[in-house]
Amino acid sequence: MSRFVTIFRKEFTDTIRDRRTLFMMIVFPLLLVPVLMIVMTNLQRSSMKKAEEKVLRVALVARGNAAVLVGALTGHHDFRVIDGIPADSMEAMILRDSVDAAVVVAGDFDAAVARMASGKIRLFYKSSDDFDMVKRRLSDVIGAYEKQLVADRFVKLKLDAGIVNPVTIEEHDVASMKERIGKTVGGMFPYLFVIFCFMGAMYPAIDLAAGEKERGTMETLLTAPVSRFQILLGKFAVVVLTGLLSAAVSIVGILFAVRQISDIPPEMLDAVVAILDVQTVVLVLSLLFPLSMFFAAFLLSMSIFARSYKEAQSMISPLMIVVILPVMIGLFPGVTLGPLTAMIPILNVSLATKEIIAGTVKTGLLLEVYASLILLAGLSLFGCARWFQREETIFRGV
Amino acid sequence: MIVVDKVTKTFSVSRQQRREMGPEFKGSRIDAVKEVSFTCRPGRIFTLLGPNGAGKTTMLRMIATMLKPSSGTIAVAGFDVVKEGVEVRRRIGFLTGNTGLYDRLTPDEMIKYYADLYGMDAQTYGRRRQEIFGLLGIHEFAGRRIGKLSSGMKQKVSLARTIIHNPDVVVFDEPTSALDVVTSRAIIQLIKRCKEENKTVLFSTHRMGEVSLLSDDLAIIHRGSFIFNGTYKEFENQMQTRSVEDEFVRLVEAA
Repeated sequence: MSRFVTIFRKEFTDTIRDRRTLFMMIVFPLLLVPVLMIVMTNLQRSSMKKAEEKVLRVALVARGNAAVLVGALTGHHDFRVIDGIPADSMEAMILRDSVDAAVVVAGDFDAAVARMASGKIRLFYKSSDDFDMVKRRLSDVIGAYEKQLVADRFVKLKLDAGIVNPVTIEEHDVASMKERIGKTVGGMFPYLFVIFCFMGAMYPAIDLAAGEKERGTMETLLTAPVSRFQILLGKFAVVVLTGLLSAAVSIVGILFAVRQISDIPPEMLDAVVAILDVQTVVLVLSLLFPLSMFFAAFLLSMSIFARSYKEAQSMISPLMIVVILPVMIGLFPGVTLGPLTAMIPILNVSLATKEIIAGTVKTGLLLEVYASLILLAGLSLFGCARWFQREETIFRGV
Repeated sequence: MIVVDKVTKTFSVSRQQRREMGPEFKGSRIDAVKEVSFTCRPGRIFTLLGPNGAGKTTMLRMIATMLKPSSGTIAVAGFDVVKEGVEVRRRIGFLTGNTGLYDRLTPDEMIKYYADLYGMDAQTYGRRRQEIFGLLGIHEFAGRRIGKLSSGMKQKVSLARTIIHNPDVVVFDEPTSALDVVTSRAIIQLIKRCKEENKTVLFSTHRMGEVSLLSDDLAIIHRGSFIFNGTYKEFENQMQTRSVEDEFVRLVEAA
């Protein structure tokens, strides 16, 4: 036991003094999430504001119809109405960016409205521009005009407006804000936790096995009076810890980011903070613990096999995709935590984390996830220990 | 004492290694060491001489318990390297020319780490540290990161790491390869000191000057087998050429 502690202590000291590991373990998860969230939110917000405030160039063909609508558009300071463009060239004009949108009122519009029929207005726009804001802003004006026409018809027919609304739906959403946010944004959290857990474990695993082989310190260590399993266990514990630390730091990063983003509705901010309360964080970390053990054993096995730090890096880096894939599947709609998905590594962590955050996790399924992860971690550690005993592996290329 | 009895070490050969060895190599296994026997006694320096790839490092790795013999037995200080590996490692100090150090630790931390692995108590470690750090002049840079030290300083730290636990048996695998004259001399001095302290010293080299300077007993290994095994005096007496180097080349070519 004391030898294990000695090895663990030394490996941990050595690891946290490595700038690259420290960056990947602490700085990257702590800063990347806030920077990404803050920059993206601010970028999106400023682009939307720009799109909302932009004076739209609207080509209008009304042929003397819909005078109220024409008046509303022409008098609106958010629109610059352009007349005299032939109706059949509207599409081309928008694609050439000569105008932002076009409104073409049918020649028989007024006549149709007068006989209580439906008049046709064609709206041309490009949905891929400016968050589809052009359509929304024009639809608001046309919608207001339509409401006015409907109101006029009710008056003319002496009818109550309620006649066309026989059912009034009064909505009562019983899902808490925590649950709603948990089921939507919650999907992103396991994505970050699993990735950071893997990335935090990656560099120490490479350094403590392939790096040691390359530097020639592994050979010396093997001549010390400790068993190979004790050596492996010391390294393994450090890799597990760095993976977990990295994931934990990313949680701090998320909380920091949420607090930094201004004008988040207070009830939403409270919900996000509630999502990441101590109980949830502890529960999520308890899931990430066996996952981190699996990552550590797997990464160390690869690293022990590699001849050099560089070879280990090129072997391990593509595995990131293998890790991301199950997490992404967990983000698909309809994929939920069930008896089968609870057995699939990484996917189960992703789904269970989502449920934990939403506060809807079932104890039985959660236990199944733990059992599956602990079994996997145990098996991979056993395999790694066997691998570390093999002369062909340890002295490959040495 | 080291007693090696009819030791063979066989490695399986990968497809890539087969390609590298050329078409004349047939089969899937190779004997790196074949039926080798010898004894290293306390207070004497046993030199293992051989060209690159002769099997020196494989032999020394088996003695240090890193590799297991395919057949035969090795006893170090009375303990079997396969059955009592931990006991063997407790009594052995191992240094190679390629020995690496932990660049992010200080010499103090590195030596303490190994002392802890060897299970040394604080008092013994303190005394031994004073003695060795003084002998090798490590005190002045004991608190600096190893990565910032010169290669000579690093080699001194390696030497300190090798003998901190006062081992009965010391194994040096080409310890002076790739070292400058001054640092090589420090190692030679340490090897002599180990002999004076009645330790069993096993030393592998391909530098002929070191052979005549240090050897009490000598074995020449070529393609995994001994082509000479005796005292250095016996080697000198049977020499048919003028220098150790010429005699070594003659024996290797004749084998």
